[in-house]
Amino acid sequence: MTITQRLLAGVMICLIGSPVMAEKLLLRANDLSFGGAESLDPLSPNRFYEVNDLIYSRLVRQDDAGQPSPELATSWTSNADATEWTLTLQTGVTFHDGSAFDAADVAYSLGRIEDPALESPVSAVLGFIDRVEVVDPLTVKIVLEAPHAGLPILLLDYRVRMIPDGAGPTIQENPIGTGPFKVESFDAEGTTRLVVNETYWEGRPLLDAIQFTAIPDSEARNQAMLAGQLDLNTITRDQMALYADNPAFQVQSFPSGGWFGIVFRTDTPPFDNPAVRRALRIAVDRQAMMTLMVGETGGTVGCDTPVRVDDPFRAMRDCPQDIEGAKALLAEAGYPDGIDIELVTSDVEPGMVRFAEVYQAQVAPAGIRVSLKVAPADGYWDDVWMTAPASVTSWGERPADQILNEAWRTGSSWNESYYANSVYDQTLDQARATLDPAAAKSLYVEAQEILFQDGGTFIPYQEDGRQVLSARVRGIAPVGEDHVRWHLVDLAE
Amino acid sequence: MSSATILRAVLSQPSGAIGVTLVVGHVLLAVLSPLVLPHDPVAQSAELILQAPSLSHPFGTDRLGRDILSRTMLGGREAMLIATLATLVAMVWGATVGLFLALIGGRTDAYAMRIVDALSSIPGILIVMIFVAALGVGVTALIPILGFSYGLSVVYIARAAALDFVARDFVLAAQARGEARATILIREILPNVRDSLAVQGAMQWSWLLLGIASLSFLGLGVAPPAPDWGLMIADGRGVMQTAPWAVLWPMAMLSSLIVGVNLAADAFSKALGVDRQMGVRAA
Repeated sequence: MTITQRLLAGVMICLIGSPVMAEKLLLRANDLSFGGAESLDPLSPNRFYEVNDLIYSRLVRQDDAGQPSPELATSWTSNADATEWTLTLQTGVTFHDGSAFDAADVAYSLGRIEDPALESPVSAVLGFIDRVEVVDPLTVKIVLEAPHAGLPILLLDYRVRMIPDGAGPTIQENPIGTGPFKVESFDAEGTTRLVVNETYWEGRPLLDAIQFTAIPDSEARNQAMLAGQLDLNTITRDQMALYADNPAFQVQSFPSGGWFGIVFRTDTPPFDNPAVRRALRIAVDRQAMMTLMVGETGGTVGCDTPVRVDDPFRAMRDCPQDIEGAKALLAEAGYPDGIDIELVTSDVEPGMVRFAEVYQAQVAPAGIRVSLKVAPADGYWDDVWMTAPASVTSWGERPADQILNEAWRTGSSWNESYYANSVYDQTLDQARATLDPAAAKSLYVEAQEILFQDGGTFIPYQEDGRQVLSARVRGIAPVGEDHVRWHLVDLAE
Repeated sequence: MSSATILRAVLSQPSGAIGVTLVVGHVLLAVLSPLVLPHDPVAQSAELILQAPSLSHPFGTDRLGRDILSRTMLGGREAMLIATLATLVAMVWGATVGLFLALIGGRTDAYAMRIVDALSSIPGILIVMIFVAALGVGVTALIPILGFSYGLSVVYIARAAALDFVARDFVLAAQARGEARATILIREILPNVRDSLAVQGAMQWSWLLLGIASLSFLGLGVAPPAPDWGLMIADGRGVMQTAPWAVLWPMAMLSSLIVGVNLAADAFSKALGVDRQMGVRAA
């Protein structure tokens, strides 16, 4: 053996013998529903929330019961009339660039919610914040324009995430947060790779990296999951059988406030006529629709309320199918022979096309003739949603006050049905200013009743969340996306 | 050759007999199926979601509990109708332009063919998708768009077939008699290239069927809930592993129709002495 050969052999032995740690890389997919315009600014209407959840932190986060619990804020108190809230911040937190997180960052991050240039949907939710005062580096005081007892619940919003003071204009190019992962490369239409934040304030996360691959089509994401190319994906009820009894996967289902709906733009004929849009909503057998889509027990039927089932402010009422009532309303509105409408849907989320097909079949006996148009999944939220006169929508669960303000308050940037009703807005204002929970509840219920009587959004049921994990994933409980403690997620060896 | 002689020549080839049987069977099914449907093809039922094939539903049911046999029987009608009309559009414009260019020749021919070359470099399905996605056109508007895009290849075939004849004595004689170009085209050239064009038309039809099924699969063609093979495959692929019947039947029907058309076209081209590759009468 020559010296070179011996050296080579030595190197080989070292390489084989040394304990090489495999990278713990979690594989996910993003749906490209903003067509490549996905934003790393957490407040942007095009927020890339799956990534933003991992790189930025909130002040508060959900505990196991869904209630506010400390994240970057360790405690919060309000004055007696709930107009001023004082938050104490976590010590020793640093951003990805090494700079310290403090009260000035909180003041800045909350202050930009109302920046008109951002057109953030959060401004309809937290626009009542008058100002944020820096008391000391670890204490902020949030001063409200009117009392609000539920501020901590609204701070759970998945978009209210902390960025460094002044970083707004450059946050897309330089996404600096305090979250458990850092952006290594970003391409919403291709691959986005996040790597571990070694100095994360709750300790080093267990994963080394998370990779997102853009797959616009929901069925293609399902096939990628089946083929072992993903570690986590949402699925429909009828897809659960694909994964059941397969040791390579873990299937989870859990109560959730998520819903599909149909948005009729209240500013566009014929949906600007309240009788027409009411007819389009009451003609449906909601229980039958839910049974077809998610099974008899796969969700909870509701009457066009977006409020999740376990929320104390949810309105409870019955709304059985009323074909004759719908016909009478249409006749009253000038459509005695029924009405033709075009409904746009897309495969952007699993089941959205079938949802439209079931709606079409349900309303046909009332003389409502629905023609369906399937738009490309890629860019659906950018190109179709809030543009087409009637389209299928999808929302994740949100607390009552958040969703009722975000999606129906006059002028809100995600007011998808372009609803404008001053009585509704005033009812919400009153509800927010009412500190007695029972009195507040009756006002929130009243607001939901206004939506049922007059609104342009059809919401037949809230459905349970369903997701599938690969067998190697650890630390993801059956909960929604923004409940997950990502630093505790791991992959089995 | 009389039509009966040609048909005999086609049917005497095993592949021709199979092809013609498949195509005739599909056309008969498309025409007659509304009369013999076992179930309502759009009736949804929560109790029947993804049922395996049984006596009452021999092809099983889909994700909304609809009868797949009924849907499969009807699933080719709309696509076949659109493909037929689009084939007519493609053949008429493609053949007219191709034959004229062959007859005119010279610079006009050279320039026009470069434009056709340029347009042909864009995949046909892409041209259609641009129209559908950008303009949001419906399924009826697909006919001229598909006809235009698929007609580009007809220009080549028609021109090549006609070039074989433009320098022949009978065409030169007609030109010497001072006959108009259109007359020469219709009386002298068209009868000689008719068979090539007919075979080409059959091929266009099968490509268009596949193109329309692809568009429906992508959600850009026939709108749901219409029973359509492309749509059925798109919907069923999400549960392919547990309910293969949801995709198997529409796939089998689409494939058998396309294979049938190809076998029949092959047999016809042999019987007629048309070289499908060149698109001209074999010497």
